Amino acid sequence: MSLDQAALLAVFGGVVFLDQWPLLQSMLSRPLVVGAVVGLVLGRPTDGALWGAVFEAIYLGVLPIGVARYPDAGLATLAGSAVALSAPAGVPPPAGWAVAVALVTGAVGDHAGLVLRRWNGHLAVRVRERVTAGDLSAPGRAIAVSLLRGVGLGVVVSVAALTVGLGGLALVVSTPWSGPLPMTIVVLAAAAALVVNGTRLFVDGRWRLTAWGAGLVLVVAAFGLVG
Amino acid sequence: MGFAWAIAPGLDRLYPDPSVRNERLLAHLETFNSNPYLATIGIGFALRLEQEVARGSAGADQRLSRLIKPVRSSLGALGDDLFWAAWRPMLGLIGAAAALVTGSPIAALCYWLAYNTFAQSVRWRGVRAGFASGAGIARVLQDPFWNRVSGITKTVGAFACGAVAGGALWALRGGGTEGISVFLIVTAFLWLAGWRRGSRGRWLSPSVAFLVVVILLSVVVRVSAGVLP
Repeated sequence: MSLDQAALLAVFGGVVFLDQWPLLQSMLSRPLVVGAVVGLVLGRPTDGALWGAVFEAIYLGVLPIGVARYPDAGLATLAGSAVALSAPAGVPPPAGWAVAVALVTGAVGDHAGLVLRRWNGHLAVRVRERVTAGDLSAPGRAIAVSLLRGVGLGVVVSVAALTVGLGGLALVVSTPWSGPLPMTIVVLAAAAALVVNGTRLFVDGRWRLTAWGAGLVLVVAAFGLVG
Repeated sequence: MGFAWAIAPGLDRLYPDPSVRNERLLAHLETFNSNPYLATIGIGFALRLEQEVARGSAGADQRLSRLIKPVRSSLGALGDDLFWAAWRPMLGLIGAAAALVTGSPIAALCYWLAYNTFAQSVRWRGVRAGFASGAGIARVLQDPFWNRVSGITKTVGAFACGAVAGGALWALRGGGTEGISVFLIVTAFLWLAGWRRGSRGRWLSPSVAFLVVVILLSVVVRVSAGVLP
C-alpha cells in the first residue's frame, strides 16, 4: 500500500466515522460499501467487494436500536479489508488476522463514538449558556465543531488501525498465525454467516419461516430447471 | 443541538423579536433522541405548533411541551423497527449475497442507492408531513403504512435468506460432500454460538464467532492440505 492510498483510506475513515451516526447516515459506512471503496482505492475492486460482503455478513445483525452499544462496523471493515487486500497477490488472504484487526478496530471505534458523545454533552451545556446570553448562532457553530472532532477521531482510529494491522501483517503474513484461507472458503463462511444472521433477524414466526422455506425451495428449483 | 439547529430557520421567520426567538430556541435545546429518518416529522410537528404559539393560540405552548416527548419516542420506535431492523438488513443481506456471487462493487452501489432512495425521501418529506399534521400527529404515527412496510420488508428478508441458503447449497453440490458439509457445520456452529443464554447474552458475538470459524477453518485447511474445496 502506497502512502497516497493510506492517506486516502485515513480520510475515508473520517467520512465513515461521521456517516455511522453523527451526520447523514447515508450508509456509506456500511461494510458492503466500505469494502468496495477500499478495493477501489487499493486497485482490487473484486476482492474489495468480496471482503465488504464478508464483513456485511458478520455485522448484519448488529442493530443500533435504543441505547444499545455496538461496534463501529464501518471502521472495522476499512481496517479489515485493507489488511486482507494488502497481502501479496497469489497467496491466500490472511483472513484470521484481517477479521481480528476488524474486531479490535470496531471496538475502538465504538469507544471513539462514546468519547464524541461525551464531548457533545459538554458542548450542549455551553451552547445552552450561549443561547441564554443571546447568541443564536451557537448551535450551528457547535455542530460544526462536533463534526470536525468526529472527522478527527475517525482519521485517528483509521491511522492507528492501519498502522497496527499492516505492521502486524508484515510480521505474521508468512506464518500460520495470519490465519490464511483461500477466498472460496472465506466466501463459504460468509454465506453461512449471512444465512444465520439473516434467519435470526427475520424469521420470527410461522409466516416468515414459510417465506424462508419458499426462498430456499424456489432457488433450488430455479437452478435445477436452468441446470 | 441538532434539533434546535434544524428548527432555527423556522423560528427566525416566526419570531422577528430576537428575545422571543431566543426563548423559543432554548425550549428546543433538549435531548431529541429519535430515529434520524423520521425525526424530520418531529421537526415539522414542532414548527407547526410553534406557528400556533406565534399566532397566540391558547395553550399551544403547553401542547408542544406535552407532546414533543411522546412524539420523539414514537418516531424512534417506528423508525428503528422500519429502518434499522428491516430495511437496512434486508438490503444488506441481498447486497452482500449479490457481491459474494458476482464479486462486483456494483452490488454495493445498488445497495447504497436503494437504501437512500427510500430513507432520504422519507426524511425529505417528513418535515411537510409533520407540519401538515400538527397536533393531529397521532394519525401519522398510527398510520398502518409503517407496520405494513416493515412487515413486508422483513418477509422479503426472510425469503432472501432462504434463497441464499438454497443458492449456497446448490452452488456447493458440484464440489462433492466436503463443501456442503463445511457449509452446514459452519452454519450450525454460528447458530449455536449466537444462542442466547437468558440474561447473560449470547455465547459469542457474531463477529467473535466468525473469527473462531476462520481460525478453525485455517487450521483444518493447513492440516488437510487441500482436501477442502
